[in-house]
Amino acid sequence: MVTLRHGGSAHRGLGEWLVQRASALYLAGFSLWLALRMGRGWPADFTAWKSWLGGGGVRLAFGMFFLSVALHAWVGMRSVFLDYVKPMWLRLVLQMMTAAGLLVLLLWAAEILLIEARP
Amino acid sequence: MIYRKQGIGMSGKNKKRPIHLDLLHIRLPVGGVVSILHRVTGVALVLALPAAIFLLRQSLLSPEGYGRVSAWLRSLPMHIMLFLLILAFTHHFFAGIRHLLLDLDIGISRDGSRRGAWLVLAAVALLMVTSLFLLW
Repeated sequence: MVTLRHGGSAHRGLGEWLVQRASALYLAGFSLWLALRMGRGWPADFTAWKSWLGGGGVRLAFGMFFLSVALHAWVGMRSVFLDYVKPMWLRLVLQMMTAAGLLVLLLWAAEILLIEARP
Repeated sequence: MIYRKQGIGMSGKNKKRPIHLDLLHIRLPVGGVVSILHRVTGVALVLALPAAIFLLRQSLLSPEGYGRVSAWLRSLPMHIMLFLLILAFTHHFFAGIRHLLLDLDIGISRDGSRRGAWLVLAAVALLMVTSLFLLW
């Protein structure tokens, strides 16, 4: 039986583990939904594309998708850095660049969904 | 990953075990191949994210933007990129599901995890053949 220590960095690792799994489940469901939607025929032109993406449910689903991707990518990239990048300064630089990059992408996606995709 | 303290020590007959693992000399088991590909494809998908968001924005800005995006996506280089991205995604998807099942102790045995890894590769190959037919 594995006993968990409480507090400190061990606790944080458990949180990231959960975030990775929860976001993975959403991403898997979203991808299946999108693939099925594609199978039924993609919106044929600009008008159809825009009116489909303008729907509240679709925009919410895409918003959740981008949030899940950002979280999932953060945990994944972090474990890649932890495993392969040994110099601490380089690891910190890469982690900060990743965090900043993902945050920018998330804000950009939010702007698109809230402004450009608005019907 | 769980480390057991007794297993790591330098005691007994195992003193000559390799201290570092030379990736060019060890032959990774199929589970290891699927696992490292999961990481490689994950990083590739993250790197593709800015382009995907850019294309999404362009496609929503105007009918001309939408036309440009569909023309780009129809070009041969983008078709190849798209194919590689679908390949990366498919692998990441199935290998990820395998990892989630391993969390639930499904397919956790040595033989079971090997079977699962081969199953992942087979599913990826099958879907790639299908998507080749669909793309071209």
